[in-house]
Amino acid sequence: MVTYAAPLEDIRFLLNELLDYDGTVAGLPGYEEASADIVEAVLEEGAKFCENELLPLNRSGDEEGCIFENGVVRTPTGFKEAYKAFAEGGWTGLACDPAYGGQGLPKTLQFILEELICSTNLSFGMYPGLSHGAYNALVLHGSDEQKTTYLPKLTDGTWAGTMCLTEPHSGTDLGLIRTKAEPNGNGAYKITGTKIFISAGEHDLTENIVHLVLAKLPGAPPGSRGISLFIVPKFQVKADGGLGPRNGVACGSIEHKMGIKASSTCVLNFDEAEGTLVGEPHKGMRYMFTMMNVARLAVGIQGLGLAETAYQSAAAYAKERLQGRALTGPKNPDKPADPIIVHPDVRRNLLTMRAYNEGARALALWCGMAVDVAEKHPEPETRQEADDLVALLTPIIKAFFTDYGFEATNLGVQVYGGHGYIREHGMEQLVRDARIAQLYEGANGIQALDLVGRKMGQNMGRLLRRFFHPVQAFVDEQQGEPRMAEFVMPLFKVLGRLQQATLHLAQQGLKDPEEAGAAASDYLRLFALTALAFMWARMARVAVDGLEGERAAFYRSKLATARFFMTRLLPQSSGHFAAIMAGKAAIMELEEAAF
Amino acid sequence: MKIETAAVVGAGVMGAGIAAHLANAGVPVLLLDIVPEGTQDRNALAAGAVAKMLKTDPAPFMTRRAAKLVTPGNLEDDLDKLANVDWIVEVIIEDLALKHDLYKRIEAVRKKGSVVSSNTSTLPLAKLVEGQSARFAEDFLITHFFNPPRYMRLLEIIAGDKTRPEALDTLRDFADRRLGKGVVLCHDTPGFVANRIGSFWMQSAINEARDLGLTVEEADAVMGRPIGVPKTGVFGLLDLVGLDLIPKVDASLAANLTPDDAYQALRRPWPLFEKMIKDGYTGRKGKGGFYRLNTDGGQRVKEAIDLDSGAYAPAGKAALESLDASKSGGLKALVAHPDKGGRYAWNVLSQTLAYAASLVPEIVERVPDVDRALQFGYAWKYGPFELIDRLGAADFAERLEAEGREVPALLAKAAEAGGFYRVHEARRQYLGTDGTYTDVPREDGVLLLADVKLAGEPLARNGSASLWDIGDQVACLEFHTKLNTVDPDTVAMVEKTVRTVSGGDFKALVIYNEASHFSAGANLGLALFAANVGMWPMIEGMVEGGQKALRSLKHAPFPVVAAPSGLALGGGCEFLLNSDAVQAHAESYIGLVEAGVGLVPGWGGCTELLARLAADPRRPRGPMPPVATAFETIGMAKVAKSAFEGKEMGFLKETDDITFNRERLLADAKARALELAEDYQAPEPLELTLPGPSGKTALDFAVRDLLAKGVATPHDETVAGALAEVLSGGPAADMTEPVAEKDLLALERAAFMRLVKTAPTLARMEHTVETGKPLRN
Repeated sequence: MVTYAAPLEDIRFLLNELLDYDGTVAGLPGYEEASADIVEAVLEEGAKFCENELLPLNRSGDEEGCIFENGVVRTPTGFKEAYKAFAEGGWTGLACDPAYGGQGLPKTLQFILEELICSTNLSFGMYPGLSHGAYNALVLHGSDEQKTTYLPKLTDGTWAGTMCLTEPHSGTDLGLIRTKAEPNGNGAYKITGTKIFISAGEHDLTENIVHLVLAKLPGAPPGSRGISLFIVPKFQVKADGGLGPRNGVACGSIEHKMGIKASSTCVLNFDEAEGTLVGEPHKGMRYMFTMMNVARLAVGIQGLGLAETAYQSAAAYAKERLQGRALTGPKNPDKPADPIIVHPDVRRNLLTMRAYNEGARALALWCGMAVDVAEKHPEPETRQEADDLVALLTPIIKAFFTDYGFEATNLGVQVYGGHGYIREHGMEQLVRDARIAQLYEGANGIQALDLVGRKMGQNMGRLLRRFFHPVQAFVDEQQGEPRMAEFVMPLFKVLGRLQQATLHLAQQGLKDPEEAGAAASDYLRLFALTALAFMWARMARVAVDGLEGERAAFYRSKLATARFFMTRLLPQSSGHFAAIMAGKAAIMELEEAAF
Repeated sequence: MKIETAAVVGAGVMGAGIAAHLANAGVPVLLLDIVPEGTQDRNALAAGAVAKMLKTDPAPFMTRRAAKLVTPGNLEDDLDKLANVDWIVEVIIEDLALKHDLYKRIEAVRKKGSVVSSNTSTLPLAKLVEGQSARFAEDFLITHFFNPPRYMRLLEIIAGDKTRPEALDTLRDFADRRLGKGVVLCHDTPGFVANRIGSFWMQSAINEARDLGLTVEEADAVMGRPIGVPKTGVFGLLDLVGLDLIPKVDASLAANLTPDDAYQALRRPWPLFEKMIKDGYTGRKGKGGFYRLNTDGGQRVKEAIDLDSGAYAPAGKAALESLDASKSGGLKALVAHPDKGGRYAWNVLSQTLAYAASLVPEIVERVPDVDRALQFGYAWKYGPFELIDRLGAADFAERLEAEGREVPALLAKAAEAGGFYRVHEARRQYLGTDGTYTDVPREDGVLLLADVKLAGEPLARNGSASLWDIGDQVACLEFHTKLNTVDPDTVAMVEKTVRTVSGGDFKALVIYNEASHFSAGANLGLALFAANVGMWPMIEGMVEGGQKALRSLKHAPFPVVAAPSGLALGGGCEFLLNSDAVQAHAESYIGLVEAGVGLVPGWGGCTELLARLAADPRRPRGPMPPVATAFETIGMAKVAKSAFEGKEMGFLKETDDITFNRERLLADAKARALELAEDYQAPEPLELTLPGPSGKTALDFAVRDLLAKGVATPHDETVAGALAEVLSGGPAADMTEPVAEKDLLALERAAFMRLVKTAPTLARMEHTVETGKPLRN
């Protein structure tokens, strides 16, 4: 069994000491009541639910998987009950609008809760996660009628949602989709086509499933400019809101996957299924992107969540597992062997996980709070600034968190040694579950292209300003603080490299998009390391002032981990920088036939 | 014989515009029209036209002072004054009888050796001189200007059998040098050259859009940019010129062309078009045309008409696969694409280009004349024959043949020979009707960098600029970035230029290029990007590097002549200000516009403008007046809208020269540079007497007043404050101690850096980079 307790102390530290949650989010219109105290209280409840209800189902769900029979998907034992309790606990509507029965709590809270859910049962989290994605798309782009029909049910969790994008020949390139939508004369449409890889596409947790489907209208413009978004419920909805007859959508099969086996991944066949258009024709991609951006952040959090469990489990194991002696002589002379945590390399593995996790959590919360500011702040300029930051950080959080999440879960297995490879310990499941997050919601290579191809150049680099200026200002501000030198100098250096690489790529990319493409993944990683260095330097700034107080131990740990990050992880940035500056030549040289 | 004075008869839009442009060239003009009924002022029509032109934008006059050269008059009282003028231009309505009558009256008074021309676009010269005296016929030509005469470069000149060669030469030379026109000598055939082919093209483009079912937006998106035609395409162009003009041109062409002319087959009635004209939808001058701005509901929504129903709907962006294909594959990919956009492009182009190929030498002697006519008269980037070459003459002919269409003889020759143009022994040549190639002719005094480039490699080159040897020991620095914005590579090339020209066998340098714009200023996008990622040292380096480079030009041991045309803004203007002399194309738009993006000029613009204003003997003396003038000019980001205004505002010196003909600019600049090279001494570093803090206080007061009136925004105040600090000489300046050039440059740098770190300046920069327009924040 894995070891997990929600990292509430770290979260409190971030909310109250690092990111001024109360001054940033709790002051926003609509969130006046959602003070840090309230948020923490809700989180404590959430932590209990995750630890007590979801974690115990994680291993069994993995073993049992979903079962597809006669067109119906059965989720693993216990999922139905857990989902019922989840919905009844109000967790499905946590950040939903009170107008639809939601609790109206900040997105920040939703963000944190998602980490806890992913740490304890990623497969389970997929179901409410997809529903919330559908909620987000409809709340922004749906008609009043669509909202009143669907949002209360999605909020209270009696219905679930999906996002139906991918088709057999159309994954990353959605411009290729073939699913058709024909007007049926009464204002609705008949949707016909096949969608694959549809998470939560069919299951037994809810009475209805609301599919959001991308399809093409007759005579639509070519490519992604001609895609429209439709709502296609599994059961048609009657005028009174009750369930009507079964719609023309059916699950054809479910996939047999490497991980997240308790999440049903479906082939959905639409056969003249009745749907209604969301928003205007041909704007589906745009609507879908608002949903996808939120979803991308959520997938990033999956990496963090799994890595946190891997770390906690590995740390506990390393303290218990007695094997061999410390290199400098026995530490535990009464016992036959020392715990393996005495070994530098084991510590290196553990600290790598820990430093990434805590840095990533800080970055995620900074971004999560910006999501709330972008939505609710009264000043349009402040909203824009926050929105820019979120847009910039989204590909970084999605790709970097899931990449390191996979690395960290692997390190977890490593600390367990051969036992990590044995299913019953649960460590290998984390690796398998983590792998998908690097692929879906836009593979990580696509995220890197999004960063260099779209986000970097957007408004001549305005998005970048939201990151670079605060970092620059922090560096300038801290330069006279001797206790901070060991954190600020590395940050200053990596910032300089990132600035140089950014300008280089912006210029090269204008001349030759392949230059930008060849550097994209290294650039994203360099950016992520810089962002984490910023977070670590800021956390260190709080910690250096706290060393004399009652929470000295906590701050000492922060500083030690900060030092580890700055000296042992951040130097990777040099390699990425060198790779970026090397250009595309060596990547493009080899002839296709030679591969 | 020379043309020193002129008269224009007919004060309509074209007549008045021609008079204004003559005045721009410094020629006194008499502008005559009939005496209108019921007005006191017998000159009301001409005087009214002049008054109206002073308010027209874009301005027909290059400076308000030019308007004084136009003397309004009327055909009853002032006819005898025609006896004093060298050239009389008739620009009255297209009525043969009226023209004949007028010519007789003119003939009765005009002096010996004077030239008379008509601006007719539809009447043959042969008919115009019918029944006129032999002397009249000898002195008569057609001079067909395009609207607006100041801005459109084409002048079609048609001489008759009887026209004296000297009259033709005189007028042609005058139009070329003094008016700056690209003259095309046309035969006396209907529609001459540009409109003959242009009308065919428009008619074909309308027909095919209707037949293929393209929307107005789609048709214009295809028929515009991808083909090298202005983005108005065809329907936007119709709106611009006025729908009501089309039936007149059409009727005249139909009446005068032979029945078997291909144009006749294109003509067909179009009820919607007729209805639009009838209902007042005549284009931009009317209620709208194929496009209109709908302002109902307080918002300005651009709408486009549905070619079938005639209903307006919000204009959309054309989405066609052929357009996407043309972005990477160019014109060839466009016409090869099977979608309706590709078919549209092919159908219209193939008809039009084949038509053009069938008309040489009927309408004009040489292939390049046709291309020039469409380039100068319709602002096409490529003329018809250049377009054929871009499609591949052989491929084009082959496809026509494959479609069972006629291949004109000249096209067949070009297909055989390998195109209408070629480069042979470093010279550009065109295909004659005899199937042999001849050098593309250049007038005396025309020097083109394009020709220099054919002859050899540059002395130095990087991605942003090149250095050329233009002969006679003169070098030419050419910018070649988008809009010729100045970036670090440009600055590096300036440094290299100073080394090369000093060290080599050169006497002088000209800064010149053949793009539409000399330079739109520093590369704002790059600076903004660097600012967005917080690379302040790099930005400061860009400011300092630019200052250094321009100072090294200014103090170099050889003379530097800048020769701008089009925009010379911001950093582009600072190149002019740091040169020894400017040889400006008359159509130069000069200004220090940095304040518009929340900055101050940082490459010596403040310093040099102050110096020019202080040194100008015609301006008030003392330390404050130059500061106040520079403050207003820079602070309000004023732009001179011609070289003449550039002089009035102090960007150009009184000794700087102006060239009207774009093609003569380089030769004139080179001559000026050689002139300066004799006994050249580089200028000493400047020392300026400036008012210091007291002067700044006075300027600050003025700004606060504007702020209080709501004319200035809070950030305007910040920018103006920084500018005032620089122009007044900084906190240490006072009237007794002159401020050195290097100290002023340091002030420019400091002010620039202070401003570029502010959020409102970054917002302004971003807005301007994105939209090309200033942001008022």
